[in-house]
Amino acid sequence: MVLDSLFILNDAGAPIMQKHWGTDLSMQRATRVVIPAFSRYLTSHTDITPIWPGPLSTTCMHIQRGDLTYTAVVSTEVAPLEILELLESISTLLYEYTGQVATELTIKENFVCVYQLLSEMIDSGRVVTTDTSVLRGLVPVPSLMGRVIENVSGFSTNTLANSTASHDAPWRARNIRHTSNQFFVDIVDRIDAIIDTTGTCVSYDILGDITCKSRLSGMPHLVMTLNRARELDDVAFHPCVVRRTWDAERTIAFVPPDGPFKLASYHMATQALSRSMPLRVLGEARCTENGMTVCVTVEPGETGSRSVENIRIRVPLDSRAYNIGVQCKSGTHMVTTSRRPQVEWTLDEIRPSDSAIRLVIQYSTRNAVQSDSTNAAFVTFEVPGYSVSSIKVDALRLLRESYKLFKGVRYSTVAGSFQVRF
Amino acid sequence: MMNAAIQTRIAQLQIVKAKVLAALRKGENYELKTELNSEYKERRKEAVRRVIANMTVGKDVSGLFTDVLKNMHTDDLESKKLIYLYLINYAKTQPDLVILAINTFVKDAEDSNPLIRALAIRTMGCLQVQEVLDYLCDPLRKCLSDSNPYVRKTAVLCVAKVYDLNRGIADENGFVEAVRNALGDVNMMVVSNAMSALAEMNSMGGDVWRLEPQIVSRFLTAVNECVEWGQIAILEALIEYEPRDEKEAENICERLLPRLQHANGSVVLTTVRLLLKYERYVKRADLLAQFAKKMVPPLITLLSSEPEIQFVALRNINIILQRRPRLLSKEIRVFFCKYNDPIYVKYEKVEVLVRICSERNSEPLLNELKEYAKEVDVDFVSCAVNAIGRLAIRFEAAAERAIAVLEELVQMKVDYCVQTCVVVLCDILRRYPGRFEAVVTTLCEHADYINAPEARAAYLWALGEYSENIPSVASLLGAAVDSLLEEEDACVQLALVNACVKYFLKQPQRAQALVLRALQTASEKCANPDVRDRAYIYWRLLSADPSAARTVVLAEKPPVRPENSSLPEPLLEELVNELGCVSSVLQQPARQFVYARAERAGVPRGDAATTADYGTQAAVDTTPGADAAEGEPELLISF
Repeated sequence: MVLDSLFILNDAGAPIMQKHWGTDLSMQRATRVVIPAFSRYLTSHTDITPIWPGPLSTTCMHIQRGDLTYTAVVSTEVAPLEILELLESISTLLYEYTGQVATELTIKENFVCVYQLLSEMIDSGRVVTTDTSVLRGLVPVPSLMGRVIENVSGFSTNTLANSTASHDAPWRARNIRHTSNQFFVDIVDRIDAIIDTTGTCVSYDILGDITCKSRLSGMPHLVMTLNRARELDDVAFHPCVVRRTWDAERTIAFVPPDGPFKLASYHMATQALSRSMPLRVLGEARCTENGMTVCVTVEPGETGSRSVENIRIRVPLDSRAYNIGVQCKSGTHMVTTSRRPQVEWTLDEIRPSDSAIRLVIQYSTRNAVQSDSTNAAFVTFEVPGYSVSSIKVDALRLLRESYKLFKGVRYSTVAGSFQVRF
Repeated sequence: MMNAAIQTRIAQLQIVKAKVLAALRKGENYELKTELNSEYKERRKEAVRRVIANMTVGKDVSGLFTDVLKNMHTDDLESKKLIYLYLINYAKTQPDLVILAINTFVKDAEDSNPLIRALAIRTMGCLQVQEVLDYLCDPLRKCLSDSNPYVRKTAVLCVAKVYDLNRGIADENGFVEAVRNALGDVNMMVVSNAMSALAEMNSMGGDVWRLEPQIVSRFLTAVNECVEWGQIAILEALIEYEPRDEKEAENICERLLPRLQHANGSVVLTTVRLLLKYERYVKRADLLAQFAKKMVPPLITLLSSEPEIQFVALRNINIILQRRPRLLSKEIRVFFCKYNDPIYVKYEKVEVLVRICSERNSEPLLNELKEYAKEVDVDFVSCAVNAIGRLAIRFEAAAERAIAVLEELVQMKVDYCVQTCVVVLCDILRRYPGRFEAVVTTLCEHADYINAPEARAAYLWALGEYSENIPSVASLLGAAVDSLLEEEDACVQLALVNACVKYFLKQPQRAQALVLRALQTASEKCANPDVRDRAYIYWRLLSADPSAARTVVLAEKPPVRPENSSLPEPLLEELVNELGCVSSVLQQPARQFVYARAERAGVPRGDAATTADYGTQAAVDTTPGADAAEGEPELLISF
């Protein structure tokens, strides 16, 4: 037995969904002692460690997503990552099933579906599968149409006699037909960086995802070749990818699941990084007589002559700030003066030819501010059509099927966790 | 007359009230009962849903058992699943009534739809009722050789549940044997689930299976074709396996290396655990070096996942680094904190940073720690400042830069930051006696900001120790003596008395009046007995034999040693074996928090005798204590 119980708690710490796999004793223990204690702890602290040694020799593991806390109660030696990954996939599954970030309401509305999912994913406290396409075959996605039919006719639409879980490529059903056969690839590079006050990179990382959208008939075998495959440091693939071919030839061979899926995620090797920045952002803070002046400068960087779009810069301010004044020539800004005051600056586009743009924030504080306390601005942006890792799809071949394949590849670079200290 | 009438009225009202309350209490369940017995199919279905909805939020709906049972015979898959869920939850409370459901179960186990067959078998296993077992055997035997892999997989897992309930039945009917045979199944999902089932039966104390050398290679192939959860089961079995010779161990490791590149962090960490475990079998240095090299990128990728996963990864990296200290020394920047990391991730990152720091890269790290010390979170600031101190104490070359950083931080005059800086600075001074005295002048200039007891004690110690270098020491100590009684903390008062005596012994002429005043106040007016006693002792010592006092008070003291933040070797060994498990995250051996294990091993929980051999748990103590002396051995966990 790995998992004793699983709870989904709302933002007040009350359980809105629970399922138990252990004995009667472990169920009573979890509901009456462990979860009340955990929820007291949860609501009275912020940022609590995800692994919490609970009362009566139990351990609570939890993740917080949106308003909900997914909590697992275990009482044996288990691998916490396994549990955390499970909780993570439950939260993503709920998103995929209901089409929105799970909230107390969506769970209550779809509890039948959630319950069925949990019992398919976990059997006798062990994780069996978390694969979306397998689960879609076992538990039907609740749809508005299905519910209407059911209410009118009284018949249930879900008769899943032939489940996909029963053959060798469990991620793909046998008889898929599409009128036009299309395959789209999205390569998104994510830059994680910390930039200090002088503009130098303290840390810099490129991570990327290759997501695909497949609308292909039959059982297609695809082979994808990348140009810089050998410089990828750590690649993780969707289970459909044949590992042997990758190890031997560095090509990605796979039978795609139908619909959107994540083919691979990669991490660029540190030595292959050029540390190029599509957008240069510099933060600067100065003390004035009774407050602070914060300056944020943005200028275009190396983007292969593409424009940087959807730039959002969030500048958190001192919690005692008032009288916040903002000056900037372009873009829009929004000032929040709540418990956590901040300025959010939005720019639609910066073209490579643009010159530097400045945002100046001035504010007063009640007591003297520390002259140079560390603070950071959070930057997000995207550069469509530019790949900072310069990974390209060289070829995509279709085997075993004779139809003509329409393929499309799109590249983009986005800011992941991009922080500018000031 | 009147009173009697009123009293009867009140009594009547109370009866009515009790009735209403009772009706309210049973209200919903009563309504559900009628609905469940409704003649309309949809209403019954809706009622079943509502019963389950109540069950999910933890309301007691066990009273509706028979009514729910009546609805069991339905063609609707969803209702069937829900009713089965209900049965799993409440069967234990009504074992006699469960028998009524058996017929439907047995019938469902032969349904044409594999999902229903699997569902029936799974539910019967989960009921945990002895009476059901007799009826379960036949369907289970059929399902174990079902044509559909999904049914076979479910049946295999069901055997483990039967085994838990009644080992005799599981053995007699050949179920355990069937699960062993399922390891040779054509479908990988069945194979990996059979593996989990066998591992679970083993963990129940039965010795039903062990990995035989003949089938190891089969698993090495299977692991590539399983879903991640199956891979973990196989990896765990291989960790328990003892390879026959070096060649085999090398082969296993090489075949499993690709598992390091998996999207699931748990697979990655289990593989790392396997590689570290197999180090004892593999002797070739070049191979070991290659394994180590391959471990690095996936561990780093884990650090760009969700904070919860980062936390577990960091705790484990901390243990791996104690085994292989050089593993990540090139990757120091990956561990730099993000401003919005949750505090628990930040602490662990600083911990790892201090561990992988070497003399060569101490400078960028000190600069980075300085940035952290300027943040606003009080606890994190003191964590960062302490880290600076630990680096300075460990690397002589870093001490100068560390002192400069700390001085800069003190000059920022941020209240909470100054406190920790002072304590840390004094520790560094004691590590390198006679080298960085100049910094004391900075402390004196910022004396007004030093107000936490621990910081004041450290500051007064510095005044006494370096009194000959400080021109204004007389007035500083004088002011401190004036406010001696206002100090709340005894440690500050003691430090002050010590400092005055030291000053006197170093410069008898200038300090005579001061020391007299200090000793007098301390011994006569101070409320704390320790302080009074200390003052008396000094007084007698000074009046009896000043030269003896000199040898006692100004004696050469051993310099502070670098603290040992590594876990004791036997504990570390145990944690490396359990890498990626709860014990490695909590950094406690499993027997101390797992109740069942403690019982089985015959270890009374919290017994000092079993824990004492691990000595002090140094890793928990992150602050470089004022004294580097060994602490008292203490329990690793308190109940």
